[in-house]
Amino acid sequence: MSTTQFTGLMASLTRQRGVLGCLVVSERDGIIVDADVRTGVDDAAVAALAAALYRRARLCSEAAGLATVNFLQLEAEHGHICAAGRDDLVAVVVAEKGAPVAQLRTAILQAVELLA
Amino acid sequence: MSDDIRRLSDELARDPSSLVFIQLGEELRRSGQLDLAMRVAVRGLERHANDADAHDLLARIHVDRAELTAAHEEWSTVLELAPGHLGAQKGVGYVLFKQGRLVEAERYLSAASEQNDGDPSISTALHMVRRMLHFSESAAAGTAGDTASAVDPEPPAEAGRRVEEEARRLFAEILGEGEQTALLLDASGLVTAGVYITEDGRDVAQEVGASLAGIRDDAARASAQLGLGKWASVTFETEVATVAMAPVHEDSLVLVAAARSVPLGLVRRVLLQCGRRAGAWLETTS
Repeated sequence: MSTTQFTGLMASLTRQRGVLGCLVVSERDGIIVDADVRTGVDDAAVAALAAALYRRARLCSEAAGLATVNFLQLEAEHGHICAAGRDDLVAVVVAEKGAPVAQLRTAILQAVELLA
Repeated sequence: MSDDIRRLSDELARDPSSLVFIQLGEELRRSGQLDLAMRVAVRGLERHANDADAHDLLARIHVDRAELTAAHEEWSTVLELAPGHLGAQKGVGYVLFKQGRLVEAERYLSAASEQNDGDPSISTALHMVRRMLHFSESAAAGTAGDTASAVDPEPPAEAGRRVEEEARRLFAEILGEGEQTALLLDASGLVTAGVYITEDGRDVAQEVGASLAGIRDDAARASAQLGLGKWASVTFETEVATVAMAPVHEDSLVLVAAARSVPLGLVRRVLLQCGRRAGAWLETTS
């Protein structure tokens, strides 16, 4: 497997307990920049949908004058999507229900510092 | 003149008996050229007097010209020609609501809602009318003596003001004086209840709602696509605030925004309470 400038970032996230996959996507168009997901996870769909959610959060934040969005979490019956962005790039993590979200939040916020 | 209007005008000029006048009239209406739209609709109806959609167009032009009685007559004609016509039911409901005839408005809007349950403009209007009816009836019951028939119900304007106030203050008790606010949004992002006042005193509820239109669908699609089941909440953190939202009822969304100093767990607890309150409020009129 080839390494990219995001390999280290994704490795730090995929080794967290309960993580099913990690991606770096462009917020503007939902295109995958890099991805490391388990078989069965539709990475293109995750990328597009997570980018759309993040974009809406950013627009809402702008409308309410709440400054920059740092972190987003979608909680569902059987798992979570967590995302953190910098400039146009967003790191996205898909995790199963039992994943320690507070740890994941810290990890993704640290990891996103490497996005540029 | 827009390209669409020019194209439709050319088409109508080529075939004056064409039904394209309905599209042309609608485009003209939307662009605010009401006199021209009216001429097109009236001339078209000379050839197609029994076309329900043409009468529907004329009714909408009348509404835009604030001619509510004429609009009502046109929509009545539509319902004679095409019983159950969705646009006419919605339109008559709107006119009756504006005229303060709430009981009749509720009947037409209910019928429209049964036909198109997913139209947020109908469900929001219906909710408003039912809450106004609730206040009108409560006022009448509260002042009724032995001569119930002589009791005047609360005037629609007063009932409307009370519904607006009730909606604005729906979450006030839960939020208290804390650094947090809450909104209830319908499927198209329109504010149904709550307020969102910024630090500098601006009410940005509508802007926030508009920016979130469709987020419920996005969240549902993302969860479904990943096999995560139903989505329960979306939370995002900014440099100064935490914003959390959750689905309510069939097509609404409740949102809580709190200062960053408020612990995330508390924000979620408030979200849960606001969701329950909003659900109960919507349930009373569904």
